[in-house]
Amino acid sequence: MNGPPADRETLEVDVLIVGGGPAGMSAALRLAQLQKEKGGEQLSIAVLEKSREPGAHMLSGAVLDPSALKDLIPDFKEKGAPLASEVHHDHIYFLTKNSKFPFPITPPPLRNHGNYIISVNRFVKWMAGLVEAEGIDLFSGFPASELLYDGARVVGVRTRDQGIDKHGAKKSTFEPGVDIRANVTILCDGVRGNLTKALVRRLALDEGRLPQIYALGIKELWEVPKDRIAAGTVIHTMGYPLRMEEFGGCFLYAMPDGLVSVGLVSGLDYRDPMFDPHIAFQHAKQHPLMESMLRGGQMVRYGAKALPEGGWHTIPRVYADGVLIAGDAGGFLNSMRLKGLHLAMRTGMLAAETAFDATRANDTSSAQLRKYEDRINNSDVRRELYSVRNVHQSFSYGLLPGLMYSGLSLVTGGWWVRDPMPVKAGYEHMAKLADYYGDNRPDVDVAVRPAKIDRKLTFDKLTNVHFSGTRHAEDQPSHLIVHDTDICRTRCREEYGNPCTRFCPANVYEMVDAGDGTKKLQINASNCVHCKTCDIMDPYQVIDWVPPEGGGGPQYEGM
Amino acid sequence: MILVVAEQREGKLNRASWEAIAAAQHAGGPVKIAVLGSAVDAVASELAAAEAAEVIVVDAPALEQYTSDGHVMTLAALIAEEQPSQVFLPHTYQTRDFAPALAARLQRALITDVTALKAPRGAMVFVRPVFQGKMSAEVTAEGPSPHFVTCQIGAFRADAAKRGSAPASVRKAAIDVDASKIRQKPEAPFKEAKQAVDLSQAERIVAVGRGIKAQEHLEVAEQLAQALGAEIAASRPICDAGWLPMDRQIGSSGQTVAPKLYLALGISGAIQHLVGMKGARTIVAINKDPEAPIFEIADYGIEGDLFEVVPALIAELKK
Repeated sequence: MNGPPADRETLEVDVLIVGGGPAGMSAALRLAQLQKEKGGEQLSIAVLEKSREPGAHMLSGAVLDPSALKDLIPDFKEKGAPLASEVHHDHIYFLTKNSKFPFPITPPPLRNHGNYIISVNRFVKWMAGLVEAEGIDLFSGFPASELLYDGARVVGVRTRDQGIDKHGAKKSTFEPGVDIRANVTILCDGVRGNLTKALVRRLALDEGRLPQIYALGIKELWEVPKDRIAAGTVIHTMGYPLRMEEFGGCFLYAMPDGLVSVGLVSGLDYRDPMFDPHIAFQHAKQHPLMESMLRGGQMVRYGAKALPEGGWHTIPRVYADGVLIAGDAGGFLNSMRLKGLHLAMRTGMLAAETAFDATRANDTSSAQLRKYEDRINNSDVRRELYSVRNVHQSFSYGLLPGLMYSGLSLVTGGWWVRDPMPVKAGYEHMAKLADYYGDNRPDVDVAVRPAKIDRKLTFDKLTNVHFSGTRHAEDQPSHLIVHDTDICRTRCREEYGNPCTRFCPANVYEMVDAGDGTKKLQINASNCVHCKTCDIMDPYQVIDWVPPEGGGGPQYEGM
Repeated sequence: MILVVAEQREGKLNRASWEAIAAAQHAGGPVKIAVLGSAVDAVASELAAAEAAEVIVVDAPALEQYTSDGHVMTLAALIAEEQPSQVFLPHTYQTRDFAPALAARLQRALITDVTALKAPRGAMVFVRPVFQGKMSAEVTAEGPSPHFVTCQIGAFRADAAKRGSAPASVRKAAIDVDASKIRQKPEAPFKEAKQAVDLSQAERIVAVGRGIKAQEHLEVAEQLAQALGAEIAASRPICDAGWLPMDRQIGSSGQTVAPKLYLALGISGAIQHLVGMKGARTIVAINKDPEAPIFEIADYGIEGDLFEVVPALIAELKK
């Protein structure tokens, strides 16, 4: 990606935080606090964020467990934390196509008393203000494209070159990336972060761990008549539109002033290669339960993002020489409670404490940074994640076994005969068309279970993409690198029917006429909403998501 | 009094200036028009055709080439002298460059990309797009006057600008423009792409979409464009495929246009395209798919095969 050596600037800091999400912002704030508590020479801290402004790429449901927030910012209310509504009502339903069946009790992990419905975009923007008020350098619009190493030791990152055209040539606006060198780099680059992915592979940090299992969350923000749903209402559903073999469910969170978050989370470990999560979401909105809430309202925002749902056994080693991993990048998410924000914040704080001590001790070796793992093991993070360590894995065996195991785990503390429960990577679950459909091979260019699109309640992907506000400089190399597009035309078309055209929720991948009667892959890179699903779910694992030019990507205002 | 800031480059008036004049006239009250530059007498007399109290020319060598400092400095001085209640500008690239700095310098409200005025004789309400054009917000300006208002290209009709019965008087304002205070040094202008076109100036546009199917079929669209005296443009997939250069692309990642006539050939009408052309006065859509969203905004829709309809149109135009 980076061209020939140019006049590359270098910046040196003590602690570099890559990614300005809840984990990164918490790490930055915690470092500032430690600095104040313990005094001594001022640490230089920098936060890198790829979005144009802080929070722009933040997407979550979201319900916040405030436990980490209370510890990090005890006076968060006085400081004006944008918490849209406290949760007042919890509902959970099992859906069939036209009916709903309330669960007799709300399972304890899904009880949200004391939690808050938030816009994670607003929340992170607020945190960014606190970070900047501490005098910490927050560089937004600067994606990190690669890690800098000294042997096996991470010594910082290089930001992406700006101003390269489609063909790789420098434009008049060319600016080489900057090398930011740090004693400790804290990677908070989110779910399937590009740097974390490279680091884990290079240093084999996932050795002895289970493969991560992901899900894709698709969400819309709606404005509905103000008196329709009480603010603080939380609804979760299982069942329709997903089938027994598909993991996931819908959520609907009501905020004040008729603002409603509605979405579908579907496991990226589905079998049917024709499954289209975006279409499933349209079916979900057409269900009477959802339709009755949304009818007459207006969709104002759209977005999608993958989430790491594998849990405890899939978390890689989160430290190495000069580097720590926190938040979604490390897989710190409780899929049973559908919550990761508080774990991102907590691990960001613990990483900051470790980085602070290490910098002060002038020892940022792996042996020293290992204390991060000890901190995690002694914290609520482990207590919370360990007991549900096999939950998502159990759903890999189907909805009913999953539900039964989940219930059992509440009693047994997560124990299972085979612990960890064995599991394959999500993309390996996808069946070939021939195996799934047998002799009834579907037309792969047409949806198997289409949804009626009315552009009022239901939308096509392209219209939805518009509402993500995503923008990229057009004249730049594709940031979705498909290493072998021949596979798309030949093997993949035959074996899986180009599932990228379906699992991508932003219409990035299209098979278009090649002019000779065959189809070829077209990548609409500027539609990308940075959800990372393609990088995760591609059955041949030939797609690499790399960051586009700084500032490119969605604009998740209010999401 | 409303002051309209007209835009010129190398002695050529930007057509969008007339749209700002039309908006200002619509808002009511006397209108003055300012133009900045060096040796811009021809532009000034062109503007004098408008029904306006006067045309004010600030002529200074330092203004020969556009700089944001030059514009901010000069207009700040001119506004102090003239005390307008509002300042209207066309929402051009140049305006986008200097207007925020000017408004900030004077600590006055700036309302950008305005598409309509409401209750123009009471407290003025401005309509501007939000959520990338999906919705419109009605806003009013707060704080002391003047308020700065930029008018979206195509939202007001240039030909609706009232012409005066006699040319308006042209006056040269005595404003010193101190070249040493201009921090920008303009380089020689260059065009990123060869033959860059400014489609926003086109009166008629023939735009093609995926329905054209193959590059060689573009010819039929080009013939139609020629017969109509129109510019050729395209929706995103055509430019992505490299069939037409990117500067012909219309939509959220291309240009925004508002011609008198917009002919959409085989364009389905994704919202990304619509936001770039919905300001066109008359939209004619030809598409095979009766469900195509383009028909929702078209004034005239032809459900049919463009390869049959377009040659028939060309034949008719040639008669």
